[in-house]
Amino acid sequence: MKKTLTTLLAIVFLCVSLGLAQAQKPSDLKFAPLKYDPPDPRAFRTQLANGLRAYIEEDHNLPLINVAAMVNFGGLYLPKDKQGLDNVMSGTMIRGGTKTKEGTAIEERIDFLGGSLGFNVGDRTATLSLSVLSKDLDEGLGLFFDVLMNPEFREGPLNLTRVRLVQQLRQANEQPSAVLSREYEKVLYGESPLTWQPTRKTFESITSADLKAVHAQYFFPKNIIMTAAGDFAKADLIAKINKYVANWQNKSVKFPVFSKQFPQPEPGVYFIQMPINQGYINVGHLGLEETNPDYFAVQVMNFILGGGSFSSRITMKVRSDEGLSYNQGSRFSYRWGFPGTFSGYVQTKSSTVGYAISLIENEFNRIRREPVADAEMDTAINYYLESFPGSFETAQSRMSTFANLEINGRPMDYYKTYRDKIKVVTKAKVQEVANKYIHPDKLVVMIVGDWEPCNKGGDQWPGPLDKLGKVHRIALADPLTGEIKK
Amino acid sequence: MKRSLIFLFTLLAFVSFVAAAEIKLDVKEHVLPNGMKILMIPKPGVPRVVCHIYFKVGSINEKPGITGLAHIHEHMMFKGTKMMGVTDYAKDAEIDRKIDELMDKIYREKYWTADGGDKAKLAQWQKEFDDLVKSEKPYIIKDEMWNLYMKNGGTALNASTGNENTGYYVTLPANKIELQMLLESDRMLNAYFREFYSEKDVIMEERRLSENRPGYFFSEQVNAAFYAASPYHWDVIGWMDDLRKVTKADLIEFHTKYYVPNNCVAIYVGDFDPQNIVQTAEKYFGRIPKGPDVEPIRTYEPPQYSEKRLYGEGPAATSLQMMFHAPQAGHPDAAPLSVLASILGGGGGGFRGFEPGDLTSLTAPPIIRGQRGGGFGGGGGTGRLNKILVQEKQLAVSASASSRAQWYVGAFQFSATPRLDKNVQPEDLEKEIWAEVEKIKKEGVTPEEIQKAKNRSEAMFIRSLGSTSGLAGSVGRAELNRGWRSILTDYENLTKVTNDDIKRVTVKYFVKDNSLTAIYKRKMGQ
Repeated sequence: MKKTLTTLLAIVFLCVSLGLAQAQKPSDLKFAPLKYDPPDPRAFRTQLANGLRAYIEEDHNLPLINVAAMVNFGGLYLPKDKQGLDNVMSGTMIRGGTKTKEGTAIEERIDFLGGSLGFNVGDRTATLSLSVLSKDLDEGLGLFFDVLMNPEFREGPLNLTRVRLVQQLRQANEQPSAVLSREYEKVLYGESPLTWQPTRKTFESITSADLKAVHAQYFFPKNIIMTAAGDFAKADLIAKINKYVANWQNKSVKFPVFSKQFPQPEPGVYFIQMPINQGYINVGHLGLEETNPDYFAVQVMNFILGGGSFSSRITMKVRSDEGLSYNQGSRFSYRWGFPGTFSGYVQTKSSTVGYAISLIENEFNRIRREPVADAEMDTAINYYLESFPGSFETAQSRMSTFANLEINGRPMDYYKTYRDKIKVVTKAKVQEVANKYIHPDKLVVMIVGDWEPCNKGGDQWPGPLDKLGKVHRIALADPLTGEIKK
Repeated sequence: MKRSLIFLFTLLAFVSFVAAAEIKLDVKEHVLPNGMKILMIPKPGVPRVVCHIYFKVGSINEKPGITGLAHIHEHMMFKGTKMMGVTDYAKDAEIDRKIDELMDKIYREKYWTADGGDKAKLAQWQKEFDDLVKSEKPYIIKDEMWNLYMKNGGTALNASTGNENTGYYVTLPANKIELQMLLESDRMLNAYFREFYSEKDVIMEERRLSENRPGYFFSEQVNAAFYAASPYHWDVIGWMDDLRKVTKADLIEFHTKYYVPNNCVAIYVGDFDPQNIVQTAEKYFGRIPKGPDVEPIRTYEPPQYSEKRLYGEGPAATSLQMMFHAPQAGHPDAAPLSVLASILGGGGGGFRGFEPGDLTSLTAPPIIRGQRGGGFGGGGGTGRLNKILVQEKQLAVSASASSRAQWYVGAFQFSATPRLDKNVQPEDLEKEIWAEVEKIKKEGVTPEEIQKAKNRSEAMFIRSLGSTSGLAGSVGRAELNRGWRSILTDYENLTKVTNDDIKRVTVKYFVKDNSLTAIYKRKMGQ
């Protein structure tokens, strides 16, 4: 008996000590298994009155409610001579008031309740979002649907918005990073609704009637997906929303059809003069669509190339090894319905502009030429697998993630199968997509910076910049007029 | 063994529930024998945990000559330890020592002589330096710590330095908190600062990025003019001269003084068992020896005694800023000033206990491109200044007010952008704002305005409880200054503010001798 007790105590002691053992190095650590199944979007999807779709989740942790309506309408749907209507609408949808209320009264009331009501028009989605304490749900919803259904775009607030936008337009050529991203897209997409810019004239031409026409055309239940998360009873909320939209008429709308053909820009250097002490650089060409089956392999490849921060080659080489920059890497950006862009990017002092570009181009070539290392694959794949639950952290983020899934036309089992699709990416596949989607012979090298010192280069990479390809000097358009000064 | 475990859990049972706005902020606390604090906010659900560590050190702990060092140090904490980032520590350390000796010679030649030193000698040493750096490379495992975090599903991986504190962040799967404790305790104990000189280059590039933002140089001068004596005088990034000349020895001295367990707090928010956190923390952080006590900063901002005005011209938008010295956080006048900022500014002010302030981070957030719309909105708000200057009188495109109470100083600021189409000048707006201030000195504000500010604070407070990383940041940082419960007392103080309080603080702080007025005019492309 005594012996058994001693043995038992010894075992207990051993277990406790093991549990408390301090690992000396990371490889000593053993982690308990962790299983996570993502929530199923279908469990939250609800069909409301009049064809309105919604993703709704109760969350009683805090006395808060978040509601949003995502409308299939955006700046891309606008004709060239009405560019900026999206910005004007963003500024006046709430502030311009409704049929029965002044905008200032709506804002004042929401603010008094400690809530927020916001509206923003993006590329292809316009979003009205409300956040209120749950005790204010009824009043908040009333204001939300009044704005969503009956905006009036009154002249006073409309005029103030136009003035503000025109005044902001004056600054459009001063921020180097903003100039770079705008002009880079202009070169890659060419003349296209994707790159049209508002001017003073287009801003000033936008009338209340234009805004109402757009609202009448695109804002109806079947063209909207709602999200709601927070401290409410789901059935009760559904009944309330249905009451608002029961008499809201659906329409038929013909969405613009866009060309997906873009001109092939001449490879080489595109230089934009600005008197600053660094070059702001993008190097790349058009990318792919998010719905492309190669998407997952491209994510893994780009993580290794320059998307995985310090775990990526471009950051390691350009920043960590050479100390050339603070912010660098590569990215595939995605635009719903269009191929996105691919770019290596860096900002570095003028004398090392050419050198940094050459290092990035080396990495483009290397990932095409050689298989990546096992350790790189391991880090990239595990990053996506292990960080996966992070996308579902709050009820609000879950609902908005699911609504976006539907808006972007992705399958409902997208998240269920996500990790499997990452897991099957191989080294060979990484090299294959690197060759398929990175084209060193087609690179547009865009630099915003000071020409003389950038062109001169430094010890590691003496200029001139035309060593990187034919140099095109780009003159910026006057943002107010859209005209290029000769 | 069992006894000590029970004792451990008894300590843990000291759990704080404090009610505010009928909401509980439930922070579990544990203090290690070496003085390091462990705070925990369990949030069951998605199996991830926000893991932050905050040190009570920032740019205000620097002095002329080493400005920017707190931030440099934060970058260097990612450059390995005796265990991490190196294949053979002894061999690497030998090369690293030679590099430091050589750089010491180079700095003396370059920076201690009036003419910048002997060029030929410097070139020779630079070549030797390059060779040494090359010979060290085979021993360095690049960014090993970062890679380990990434491979284990670490997200929101970053670090940032502010005026008063420095934070190190990662969010991990719930089963991998031990990894964070091993790596973080290792770099507190065994930090080894490789590649110091190329990292200084990185930070100079970071500073240049700021310099190329329209209006940066002016705002840096405004800040320096506003804070004449206190160490809030310089930006977190530091002056370029100091970035060039700061040495490895400065860095090591800084690390030894401030990176001690009794000068920091670790906080965990997410899906975990607190008992497990405490046990693991005892194991890893518990092994770090306690350091000497850290002296608080000495120089507070003295009274100004005279009005300051600054004029600038450049590529940024024409604007007006009016700044007034205000008391530090926790002072009885901080709450009325905060309510006043909310009333005047609408969008600004109100409950600010959860804002991190100006931070300089290790990595830049990803830039979202190809998005329309977003950048053009805003500029509204229902604050009194917006109503009067933007909507009624139509003199400004935006007008706001904010109140920022920091650990040792405070500032109340008005900002406005004039209507260029009506040829309004910043000076015109200045007069308007003074008129409004004088009115408030006499009449105060309305009960509705005060109620609105309080409602907004309540809602902001509740919202802040919903974010995991935001909560970790505010609770962790607050703990380092006045204890995390100051978040609740600050909030309660806001709910007690009266019109008399507002009149009193307006009279007390809004006087010319306490102010700096900054007028900036756009130079190009009017």
